[in-house]
Amino acid sequence: MAAMMPLFLFAAVCMVLLFGYPVALSLGGTALAFAGIGLLTDTFDPAFLQALPNRIYGIMTNQTLIAVPLFVFMGVMLERSKVAEELLGTMADLFGSLKGGLGVSVILVGMLLAASTGIVGATVVTMGLLSLPIMLKRGYHPSIATGTICAAGTLGQIIPPSIILILLGEVLSAAYQQAQLDMGIFAPETLSVGDLFVGALIPGLLLVLFYILYLVFIGLMRDDLIPKVISAETTQSEHILYRSIKALMPPLLLIIAVLGSILSGAATPTEAAAVGAMGALFLALGKQELSWSVLKDVVQSTTQVTSMIFFIFIGAAIFSLVFRGFGGDELIAEFLTGISENDADSFLAQLFPEGAFGPVLIVMLVMFLLGFILDFIEITFVVVPIIAPVLLTMGVDPVWLGIMIAINLQTSFLTPPFGFALFYLRGVAPKTVKTMDIYRGVIPFIIIQLLMLAALAYWPQLATWLPEKVF
Amino acid sequence: MIKLANSLEKISVWSGQLIAWLTLFMVFVTFSIVILRYGFETGSIAMQESVVYMHALVFLIGIPYTLKYDGHVRVDIFYSKMTARGKAWVNLFGTILLLFPVTLFIAWISWDYVIASWELGEESGEAGGLPGVYLLKSSILLMTLLLIIQGSSQLLVNIAFLTSKTEEH
Repeated sequence: MAAMMPLFLFAAVCMVLLFGYPVALSLGGTALAFAGIGLLTDTFDPAFLQALPNRIYGIMTNQTLIAVPLFVFMGVMLERSKVAEELLGTMADLFGSLKGGLGVSVILVGMLLAASTGIVGATVVTMGLLSLPIMLKRGYHPSIATGTICAAGTLGQIIPPSIILILLGEVLSAAYQQAQLDMGIFAPETLSVGDLFVGALIPGLLLVLFYILYLVFIGLMRDDLIPKVISAETTQSEHILYRSIKALMPPLLLIIAVLGSILSGAATPTEAAAVGAMGALFLALGKQELSWSVLKDVVQSTTQVTSMIFFIFIGAAIFSLVFRGFGGDELIAEFLTGISENDADSFLAQLFPEGAFGPVLIVMLVMFLLGFILDFIEITFVVVPIIAPVLLTMGVDPVWLGIMIAINLQTSFLTPPFGFALFYLRGVAPKTVKTMDIYRGVIPFIIIQLLMLAALAYWPQLATWLPEKVF
Repeated sequence: MIKLANSLEKISVWSGQLIAWLTLFMVFVTFSIVILRYGFETGSIAMQESVVYMHALVFLIGIPYTLKYDGHVRVDIFYSKMTARGKAWVNLFGTILLLFPVTLFIAWISWDYVIASWELGEESGEAGGLPGVYLLKSSILLMTLLLIIQGSSQLLVNIAFLTSKTEEH
């Protein structure tokens, strides 16, 4: 009975979360209730909770995590200064004369914006509000339009410099240290957020490429889904080109500056984020969109998003301390090692470090299911610290694991009927778009995602090659 | 009751709006650090630590402020479909059973930790760092105090709503 407490705790947390009270407090409160029961029944060691103040202080003083408010600042500033709107408008004009061009623009804008936001809901809602009306007006089939927007909106998680990758990198880095110490390596290798950024580049860009190929293919084959372009304004094409460059260059330069400085090792993610935030400020200033009220709005939104993220971090810290206090981490480790011993000599299993295939597969499946009720941040803070040390001890590459988790969760957010992205888009889509249209529209993108996951499993180098080259 | 709730709420709103400007200063100071390092090859530990202090203050003091504006993520699969009354019940029970226990627990378990830091007059471990580590640690307790105040306000608002005779939608 006592040995099952961690599982009961986990089940109870999921149930409490479904009531809809803020996640941070649901996590912490349920865990504390269990700690209380454990103390009364003498199955819980209270010493674990003594570590909480130091945990919170550690979160407060973590240098890498300071990048979070700075990147949020940059993202909110870009959004409020209407950079996204202008970008989409001009890109649509630029590619508008091509069949499927508007869809491609949506994907590309999603990728560029992606870099600056990290919250699934926010990006999907923004993209939905901006592009769905235009796509429908130009005659795109609702399923193609909504599928494209969901995919483009969730792309943000895996294209650096996403906030999600920073958080994931931080958690994985701690897990990697622990795993190496457990293995008796006392001069452990480190994992940086930069490693994860670089690792995500190739898989992320491949996804973008496949999304675009799919849209172009549909555009060529099906006139009923993506309409022919009615009138191309050839007379104005030069003007459009100039305007596109003017709209595209500043945000593009900003992203290149931020990413470049991290990738070249010149700046830490935190410093790069500050440069990006400063750039976004100047961009807004240059566009004369920077008023006192906009600035006030930006700092207040930044504060709210930042507090939201870090409060979950604190709630998750309480949860994981209690989970450990009940021996939950040992339970998980035993379970995963058990699977590893039963691992068959199948063809796929041989691609992985010995015995790691089964455990990785199980973890990915569980995360996929959890993605239906928990957002990326919660899974990063609650689940990854529990499972990552075990998998890393088995010899799984940390960068590869991070990218697999990110793409896996992105797929989960797209999957009907529970995927987050679908809910958010449903919320901003007009009534004429049927829910089934959205479900049908995302399926091709889900298939692309699954193929990408399979490719990553078969060729881990897709994620690990570039970090080795760069650093 | 609503009046009391409103005046309690003002504390979170004011503190949050004030602290929010620190995000702008974080951008400026961190940017200056980059310029100083790569332009002039100098650096200041105190400057770097000031960013840490600002960051910690922003997200800690921002927690009750964000609660006021309902900015903390919920799993809203069912919540979003509830009636206003249903939501008020969730928030009422959540405040009593989750918010208060968690906040009081954080305050209780952090108390000795913070006091110990005051008694030491704890300073930064780095040469040239800021001397106020005990103040930084105290902000954990400040957060819990503000969160209890904001929680009480929400408790009152929800009780007032649930006991009022106005029709629900």
